[in-house]
Amino acid sequence: MNVRDLVLAALAGGGYPMLFGVTTISAVGVPFPMTFVLIGAGSLIVQGEMNLWWVLVLASIGAVLGDQIGYGLARWGGRRLAHKLGRMNRVGEASLKKAEAVSRKWGGTGVFFSRWLVTPLGPWLNVTSGISEYPWRRFLLWSGLGEILWVALYVLLGKLFSDRVQALSETLGNLTWVILGFFASCVLGWTLWTYLRAKDPGGRRASHGFG
Amino acid sequence: MIIRRHWLLGLAFVLTVAITGVSAVRTARKALYWRSHMDEPIHGWMTVRYIAHSYHVPPYVLYQALALPPKPPDKRPISKIARSQKHSVDDVIGVLTNAIIHARPPNPPPPPEEGRAP
Repeated sequence: MNVRDLVLAALAGGGYPMLFGVTTISAVGVPFPMTFVLIGAGSLIVQGEMNLWWVLVLASIGAVLGDQIGYGLARWGGRRLAHKLGRMNRVGEASLKKAEAVSRKWGGTGVFFSRWLVTPLGPWLNVTSGISEYPWRRFLLWSGLGEILWVALYVLLGKLFSDRVQALSETLGNLTWVILGFFASCVLGWTLWTYLRAKDPGGRRASHGFG
Repeated sequence: MIIRRHWLLGLAFVLTVAITGVSAVRTARKALYWRSHMDEPIHGWMTVRYIAHSYHVPPYVLYQALALPPKPPDKRPISKIARSQKHSVDDVIGVLTNAIIHARPPNPPPPPEEGRAP
């Protein structure tokens, strides 16, 4: 029996503590098939085995709590480690400060979208937010909003397609990776483009000439 | 020249675009497949109640087929039921599929166990 079978079996048995537990530890970074769990919970609501409000509240609180654990561990343990590694690899204080500035500027947006749209990045952004000391209250706000949206979206989709749990979770799981790949392509493409332009001022002049 | 010096960045970009493209096509094909196929295959993680819900048949029909009492409802996944009955999961899936075929129109489902005369 694999993890998916165990989790689904526990959920089917009225396992609210199980739902709370898996959402918490998956938000910390332990890999669990959460798309499947939330969609499965949506289907169990339709089958009368779980209650919608309990599922929404417990899964959201579990996910937000897991985010705070990841953030806290990174902030109070990881930051010291980052500085130590930085010194070992001769990464100066200025570079770390620059990384912190980027995190402060884009942290909220990143945290929000990584909760529900590009979920595989979620635990990583908890760590980077903690290490870069992104303000905790703002982190809590964005992670809370994102997690509530994630839970509501997936549970309601599970309710809507309650007889297609397997098909829907497979499609959504694949779609998440496609969206992540799209973002990665945009970032890499943009980096390549800016590099080429910086190294080829002639090309830049030529392109401006058309304007 | 610039690309040669930064071939890693270029290669990463091309690979990411290619993998994303292939994944997008596969996802779209899968979604189209599910749109045209009403029933999803039975898997070991599914419970009897979920299978009944997914295939739109009364749960007692499937419990009867597996020689299980309809109440209290057995909430174990069929992989666990198969193990407790000393059958393979495929055997259980076969029994359930047969029961579903006979419970769906034009075949009416048999009456529930408790409705039968003693």
